[in-house]
Amino acid sequence: MMDQALQHLVNGTVLGGTYALLGIGLTLIFGVMRVVNFTHGELYAFGAYMVYALVSLLGLNFYLSLVLATLLGVALGALVELVLLRPLRHADIDSVMLVMIGAALVLQNTEMWVWGGVAKMVPTPFVGTPLVVGPVSVLPLRLFVFAVAVALLVGFWLLLDRTRIGTAMRATFQDPQTASLMGVRVGLVHTMTFALGSGLAAAAGALLGPVFVVSPTMGDLVGLKAFAIVILGGLGNLPGAAIGGFALGYVEEFGAGYLSTEYRDAFGFLLIILVLAIRPQGLVAARERIG
Amino acid sequence: MLNRRTILLGGLAAPLAAPLVLRHGLAAEPVRIGMTQPLTGVVAASGNYVANGAKAAVAVLNRAGGVLGRPIELVLEDNKSNPREAVAAAEKLMLRDRVPVMIGAWSSTFTLAILPKLLEYKVPMIVETSSAARITTSGNPWVFRIAPTSEMEALAFAELLPKFSPPIRKIDFLSVNNDFGRGATEKYGAVLGAKGIPTGRAETMTPEATDLSAQLTALKQSDSDTLFVTTGVEQLTLALRQAIEQRVNKRLISTGGSFPDQLLHNPLPAGQSSDHILFYAPWFPELARHPEVARAYTDEWNRNGWEFAGLTEGFRGYDAVLTAAAAIAGAGKPEAEAIRQALWKVDVKGVNGDIRFFKEGPAGQESGQNHPNAYVVRLADGKATLI
Amino acid sequence: MRYFLPWAFLALLAAVPILLPDPYTLSVLASAGIFIIGAISLNLLLGYTGQLSLGHAAFFGLGAYASALTTLGFDIGIGFGQRITLAPQPVWFGFLAGIVVPALFGWLLGRLAFRVRGAYFVIITICFAQVLRLLTLNWVELTQGPMALSGIPALSLWWPGLDAPIALFRKDQIYWLVLAVAAVAFLLVRQVVRSRIGRALVALRENETLARSVGIRVTHYLVIATVISAGIAGAAGSLFAHSVRIVDPDVFLFIYTVTMVIMVVTGGKGTLWGPVVGGLLFGPLPDLLRGSAPPEAQWIAYGVAMILIVMFLPRGIVPAVASLWPRRAAAKPAAVAVEAEG
Repeated sequence: MMDQALQHLVNGTVLGGTYALLGIGLTLIFGVMRVVNFTHGELYAFGAYMVYALVSLLGLNFYLSLVLATLLGVALGALVELVLLRPLRHADIDSVMLVMIGAALVLQNTEMWVWGGVAKMVPTPFVGTPLVVGPVSVLPLRLFVFAVAVALLVGFWLLLDRTRIGTAMRATFQDPQTASLMGVRVGLVHTMTFALGSGLAAAAGALLGPVFVVSPTMGDLVGLKAFAIVILGGLGNLPGAAIGGFALGYVEEFGAGYLSTEYRDAFGFLLIILVLAIRPQGLVAARERIG
Repeated sequence: MLNRRTILLGGLAAPLAAPLVLRHGLAAEPVRIGMTQPLTGVVAASGNYVANGAKAAVAVLNRAGGVLGRPIELVLEDNKSNPREAVAAAEKLMLRDRVPVMIGAWSSTFTLAILPKLLEYKVPMIVETSSAARITTSGNPWVFRIAPTSEMEALAFAELLPKFSPPIRKIDFLSVNNDFGRGATEKYGAVLGAKGIPTGRAETMTPEATDLSAQLTALKQSDSDTLFVTTGVEQLTLALRQAIEQRVNKRLISTGGSFPDQLLHNPLPAGQSSDHILFYAPWFPELARHPEVARAYTDEWNRNGWEFAGLTEGFRGYDAVLTAAAAIAGAGKPEAEAIRQALWKVDVKGVNGDIRFFKEGPAGQESGQNHPNAYVVRLADGKATLI
Repeated sequence: MRYFLPWAFLALLAAVPILLPDPYTLSVLASAGIFIIGAISLNLLLGYTGQLSLGHAAFFGLGAYASALTTLGFDIGIGFGQRITLAPQPVWFGFLAGIVVPALFGWLLGRLAFRVRGAYFVIITICFAQVLRLLTLNWVELTQGPMALSGIPALSLWWPGLDAPIALFRKDQIYWLVLAVAAVAFLLVRQVVRSRIGRALVALRENETLARSVGIRVTHYLVIATVISAGIAGAAGSLFAHSVRIVDPDVFLFIYTVTMVIMVVTGGKGTLWGPVVGGLLFGPLPDLLRGSAPPEAQWIAYGVAMILIVMFLPRGIVPAVASLWPRRAAAKPAAVAVEAEG
C-alpha cells in the first residue's frame, strides 16, 4: 500500500513539474497583459510538433530539437502578440478573449492540416527500461523532463528577479500606468511577456510530446487545465501558479489512484468550481482583483 | 417538311447528345462505394489504414476492368472519431452521393450510430472492423459484418491457449471504455473463464487518455500473469510502453486486431515481448488462406509507400471493397436492394480468408455475419513471429 | 413595412422544403437551425448582459441528455443498494425535461458564477461544461459514456382525430419543427429584452456600478437571464437529440460553444437578428464545405472570421448593415430601440 502511495507521489511530482511550467506562462501573460490566453494549449501542441518535425523529419539531435522547439514557440508567441494583441491593447478583456479563441482555432486546425489527424510518436535517446529505486520505478525520460521543467522554472524566476526586462515585467505587472510613467516601454514588455509565456508552453509540449503522443488536439485539455492551475493559484500570481501546477499533479494522480481512474481529468475542474465557490481569489493569493 | 425538321433537330441534337453517349458508353459513369472511417481524431491511425486498404482494392479492381464494365469510385468521408459525425457522414453519402452500398465505420460506437439510418434510407453497409455483438443481433437486415465479434475472437484465441508457455492462469484487462473494449473484457473473460482461467482486475480508460499510470499502478497490484489490452493503435502503443515503465510484469496481449506499429521502429526494451491478436499477419502473407490475394494486396500497399504495419488493419478495407464489388457484380446493377440480396450469395476470396455471410438476429430481419480467421503474432525486439 | 418584413422572412423560411425538397439540404439547414436556436439563447447572456459565458454547450448538452434519458428511461444504482429507475416517457415529456433540467443548472451556475466577473467568470463557465463532459463520458451506467445514447426516438405530433401520433422522421418535418422552435425562441428573447428584465440587463451591461447604485438587483436579473437562456439552449439540445437520434459526450465540447459564440459575435451581439444572421452564415458552412474542403478549412475560416469581426466590425454585421440604412434609423429616435430591433 505504501509502495503504491510512493509511486503516486513520484508520478504526481513529475506531472506537476510540467503543469507548473504551463501555469506560470499563462498567469504571467494574464498578470502583465490582462489577456486570457486561449492559445496557450495550441502553443503547447506547437512545441510538441516542432520537436517531432526536428527529430523525426530533419533528423536533428533530440536535445537541440528541444531548445529549437522552445525558441520557435517564443517566436510564434511574439508574432501572435505583434499581429493580434498589439492593435487590441486598449480593447476590453472580452474582445481580446474572442480574438484569442479565433487564433486558437486557426493554430489548431493549421496543425491538423499540416500534420494530419494521426498521432505521431517522437523517438528519444532514452532507454525504455525504468529506473528502479526501492518500490518506485520511473522512466529516465520522465526524470529528464522533470529536471528540465524545474530548471526552466528556476531560470525563469531568475530572469524576472535579476534582469532589467524582468524588473520591467514585474513593474508592469504591479501597476502598468506607473510603470509606463517611469519609462518602462510597455509595448516591448508585452511582446516579451507573451513570447516568454508562449515559449514556456511550447517547452512543456516539447518535453511531454515524446513522453506521450503528439496529436493536433493534444492542446485542448491541456489548455483548459492550465486555466485550472492558474485559478488554483490565483490569476496573475506567479508562485501560486507553480504551487497550483504541483497541486493539480497530485490531485489527479492520487485521485486516480484512490478514488477513480475514470474521473482523473475531471478532478482539476471540480476543484476549480469548488475553489471559486468558496474562495474566488484562489487558494494562494491573499488579494487580487476578481472583477 | 416533317423530314426536314426531324433532320434539323437531329443535327442539332447530335453534338449535345455525344457527351452523354460517351459518358454512358465505354469507361462510363463509375459505380460508387461509400465509406466512412475515422480519418482524424483519437482513432485516426486505424481509420486511415482501413481507408488505404479500400483505396488499394479499388485500384486493383479497376486495373482488372472494374465491376459491371464500369470503374469503381470510392467516396470516402471522415467521421472524425465521433458518432455524431459518423451519422452526418453517412447521411451525406446516402443522400447527396446516393451510394448504393457503404462500408464503415471502424468503431462499434460509430457503426451503431449509423444503423438506424440504414433502415431509414435502405442502403446496405459492410461492417469491416466493429466487434460489438449487438450490431448483427438487433434485427437490421442492411448490415453485413466481415469482422469477427468479440466472442468469435475470444473463441479463436482460446484454441491457441496450449501454445502459451508458461500457461495463462489468471488474466487482467485494460480496455478502452467503449463497445470495443468492454466487449473484449466481457467476452474474453467469459470464454477464458469457462476454460478455468479467472479474471483478476479489469481497468478502463477513456479513448483520449494518454497518461495511464494510475490504471497500471492498480493493475500492478494484481497477481495475474497476463494483461489483455484492448484499444486503438495510438493508445495501445502508449499502454504497452507505460506498462513496461510501471513494471507491470505480466504477459501483454493486445486484442481486436490493433497493432502498435510504432513498436517496430521504437521497440520495447530488450527482453520484453508483446502478443497481438491479428486478422492478417503481413510478415507471413504465404500463410494466409489465399496467398495470391494477400500478395496482390501487399504489393498494391507497398506500391503506394504506405506504412508496413498498417497492413495489419488495412486488409479490412481491402476485403470490404472486394465484398462490395462481388455483391454489385452479383446484383448486376448498382442498386441498394439488389446489392443487399446479392450480399447473401457472395463467396469472396479475401485477404483474411473466405468471406460468406450467415444469418444472425431475429428471424425475418437477419443481419449477415462472416466467420473470419485470427492469428497471434509475438513481437520481441522489433521482430515478429507467428504463434 | 417593419412589421411585415420578419413575417415575410419566416414565410420564406417555411417555404424552403417546398421550393427545395432535397433531403440533404433540409438536413443541413435543420442542423444549422438547431445551432441558431443555441446562438439566440447565448445572445441573451453574451449580448444583453455582457457576460461572456463560454460554457453554453453545457446547457445544450444537458438538454440533449435530459431529453434523451427521459424518453429512453434509465436504471441506475446510487450506492447503498438503492436504485433510481425511470420507465421510458413520451417524447414531449423528454422535450420538457430538456428545458427544465438545463434551466435548473442555469440557476445553479448563475448563483455560483455571478459571484465573480471577467476572466474568473469565463473560466468557471468553461470548467462547468468540461465537468459535465467528463461526467457523461464516465458515468456509463447512466449515459453509456463514449458508446453514446443511441436509438433516441423522433419527436412526434398528435392531434384529435388522429389514431396514432406521427413520428417526425422526414427531413422536411424536422426542418419545420426546428423552424417553429426557433421562431418561439426568437419571440421569447424579444419579449424578455423588451420587458423590465431586459432594461435592467442592458443597464447593468452598460454600467454595473451605476445599476447597483440605483437599486437594480444585479445578480437576481443575471440569474433570471441565465435560467431563460439555459432553457432555450436546452430546447435546442433536445431537438438535436431527437433529430440526430444519438447523443455523445462530445456535445459538451468547447468547440460547440465557440460555434455559437461566433454566430452571435459576427451577426451582432445584443441585437435580436444578430444570431440569426450569424447562424445562417456559419451554420451550414461545415456541411457545405464537406467534400470540397477538409474540415480544418472550415474551422480556420471560423477562426479568421472571429478575429476579423472583433478587430474591424466589433458590433457585428447587423448593426453595421442597419447603420447603412439611414432612413430606418432616422425613423426610430431612440438608439437603444434600434439596437433592440436589429
